[in-house]
Amino acid sequence: MQIKRKFFIFPLLFLLISCQPPPLTVQTPPADRHRPHDYIGKKGMVVAAHPHAVAAGLNMLKKGGNAVDAAVATAFALNVAEPFASGIGGGGFMVIYLAKEKKTTVINFREKAPGEATASMYWDKGKIQENWRKSHGLAVGVPGSLAGCVYALDKYGTMKLENVLESAIRLAEQGIPVSETFSQINKDEYEKILQNAGESSDYLHDGFPYEPGDIYRNPHLAKTFKRLISQGWRDFYEGEIAGEIIKAVQRNGGIMRHEDLAQYSPVEQPPLKGTYKDYTLYTIQPPGSGGLHIIQLLNIISHWPVREWGFNSIEYVHHLSEAFRFVFADKVRYLGDPDFTSVPVEHLLSKDYARQIAAKIAPDSLQNSYPFGVFDQHTIEKENTTHLGVMDNQGNIVSLTQSINDFFGSGIVPEDDGFLLNNEMADFSPQPDSVNSPGSKKRPVSSMGPLILFKGEKPYLVLGSPGGTRIFTSLTQIILNIVEFGMSLDEAIEAPRFFSYSSRGRAQNLYVESRVPLHIRRSLEKIGHSLEVRGAYDKYFGGAQGILIDQDRNLVIGGADSRRDGSGAGY
Amino acid sequence: MILISALSLLFLSNGLGESLPRFEQPILITSAGQSADVQIGGVLVKRAGLMATLSKHATYQELGDKKTLVLVIGVSMKGLGAAGLDLDQEKARVKGLIEEAQKKGIPILCLHLGGEARRGELSDLMIRAFLPYADMVIVVKSGNMDGLFTKICAENNIPVLEAEKTIEVQKPLKDIFAQD
Repeated sequence: MQIKRKFFIFPLLFLLISCQPPPLTVQTPPADRHRPHDYIGKKGMVVAAHPHAVAAGLNMLKKGGNAVDAAVATAFALNVAEPFASGIGGGGFMVIYLAKEKKTTVINFREKAPGEATASMYWDKGKIQENWRKSHGLAVGVPGSLAGCVYALDKYGTMKLENVLESAIRLAEQGIPVSETFSQINKDEYEKILQNAGESSDYLHDGFPYEPGDIYRNPHLAKTFKRLISQGWRDFYEGEIAGEIIKAVQRNGGIMRHEDLAQYSPVEQPPLKGTYKDYTLYTIQPPGSGGLHIIQLLNIISHWPVREWGFNSIEYVHHLSEAFRFVFADKVRYLGDPDFTSVPVEHLLSKDYARQIAAKIAPDSLQNSYPFGVFDQHTIEKENTTHLGVMDNQGNIVSLTQSINDFFGSGIVPEDDGFLLNNEMADFSPQPDSVNSPGSKKRPVSSMGPLILFKGEKPYLVLGSPGGTRIFTSLTQIILNIVEFGMSLDEAIEAPRFFSYSSRGRAQNLYVESRVPLHIRRSLEKIGHSLEVRGAYDKYFGGAQGILIDQDRNLVIGGADSRRDGSGAGY
Repeated sequence: MILISALSLLFLSNGLGESLPRFEQPILITSAGQSADVQIGGVLVKRAGLMATLSKHATYQELGDKKTLVLVIGVSMKGLGAAGLDLDQEKARVKGLIEEAQKKGIPILCLHLGGEARRGELSDLMIRAFLPYADMVIVVKSGNMDGLFTKICAENNIPVLEAEKTIEVQKPLKDIFAQD
């Protein structure tokens, strides 16, 4: 009898198994973290700079949440898992694609300057006070991340705040193992943390930087998240948490007031649109400059036979570096908060303007005169920031970049609240006459550029990166790696990068990852570039995350940058 | 436990038996490479209850009446940039300090606290250049996985102590300084 039953059960099991949907494709990345590795999904994907944050997003999708719910859950989890790069004390931008309506929209939750900010606020005794811009109360902009996430959740999500905070609270209480990346950044920023947050800070382990393998917990942040649920999220802007923020900022010499926090609101905007060959790109508006510059660069590059030149060939690196320098000159010349200054977006994005720039670039020499306008020395933002992407089973998409600016932000932590306040005011130019000078309630220019690239009518590539001013140069290279050089998504992300810029109209160094071959580097030097060789996989060039929607194969592919702790999971 | 294992390494590396060099206070603690690790050194020294002046960019004049020079080795390009120094200038500054310390008979204690992350071409250059002048070396273990510190110290007969983690450097620090 029993034997008979077994014989009956096996075919039934086989039948059941073969009828099951494909297993969840949470794949183990390769042992060599830098080896290109595409995460594969059938219905959706989450990519972010930390595996625990990815898991938070994936859980949300599996519970029936949509892309916005999952993106917000991932963003909050990043506040725990990658506290040095983003959090509710910061700000950012998200691009949302709503599949049913075929609509793309942008939520701008960039920080704002306090009401009392002035153009000359960083000058004292005839000198710019750099410290005031970086690790001082005056460096802190009014945070927008929480308001931005709640806005997105209320308007486009399906879950409640308590649902999307669940994973982040659990992570903060249970802890995460510290990675090499975390430990290294913790060590690099130790002085700032010590100075502003003190030895007992949540971001230190018994007063010292975390070592790889240590368990990092943040019970104070868990408590803050729980308070946002019990007291309502406005507590951050008008309640007890707001009081702690103001106290911390003012104690460190800042000028933020209660009304600055109370009056903060995110802005929903139409996306900025550009085209490159058969592709249409949707990204963020100024004061986010990254998206605009990517479109500008692609417009310029469309005049060159880059495919013929080949990936990272001498011609390719030289021409793109020159284009970067022109675009940087425009950044300094024109980019500011459009609520306060007129940014000539149409001119900058015109194909004709791009053609003029392309025509100026010589094949065998440096232009060395880039029309920079005013006098501004370019500020090179550091690695910082983080990017995440989500696609759900309905085809909704979120491309979200968020930051607290420098790693560990200003280093200022409101007492026992467990989150860091940004130093985003450093993204203003300290020069009072700059188009991007600080001012009351202004938003500083950002290099962020979360984007969605469409092939025809359908979303094709969801992309973004941290990396300060390298954001838009790196994203441009990744797009070209895919659409011109036929690389897979993660090959495109891991491929060696380069960067250059101009300052006061002069060409600056050409920074290359050491994997750019020596003979290419030598030839570039012969043309006139001054090279600075960085690490093989250097987070200086960002930490991009992407999702590629392969309509032909009906697959959703994720790619995550090994320059940081990028990870992904499909389902 | 850590000290015991570290001491066994010490015996191997210099054959000094159980004798540990003794250092005196006050201390001048400075960086060799401008990484933030010098701040870690500062906190360790403070927690060990030692009398020290931390000066990231100390010049030889600051040695004054100091009785020990502590060099925290580790290069950070960001740190060098913030200090307005290039690597050659930093090397010259450290060299000046070492020469003055030798002239005055001030012993030198070298610390490497940044682990594996604080190795690499530039940091190794500093390590190779200045470690041979040390009277004693304390290194966080993950920074010595390839045995570079052990090798240089063995070649120069310098006692070297390995600590599993940064926080564990505090106890040997306290032990090697004569308490007043």
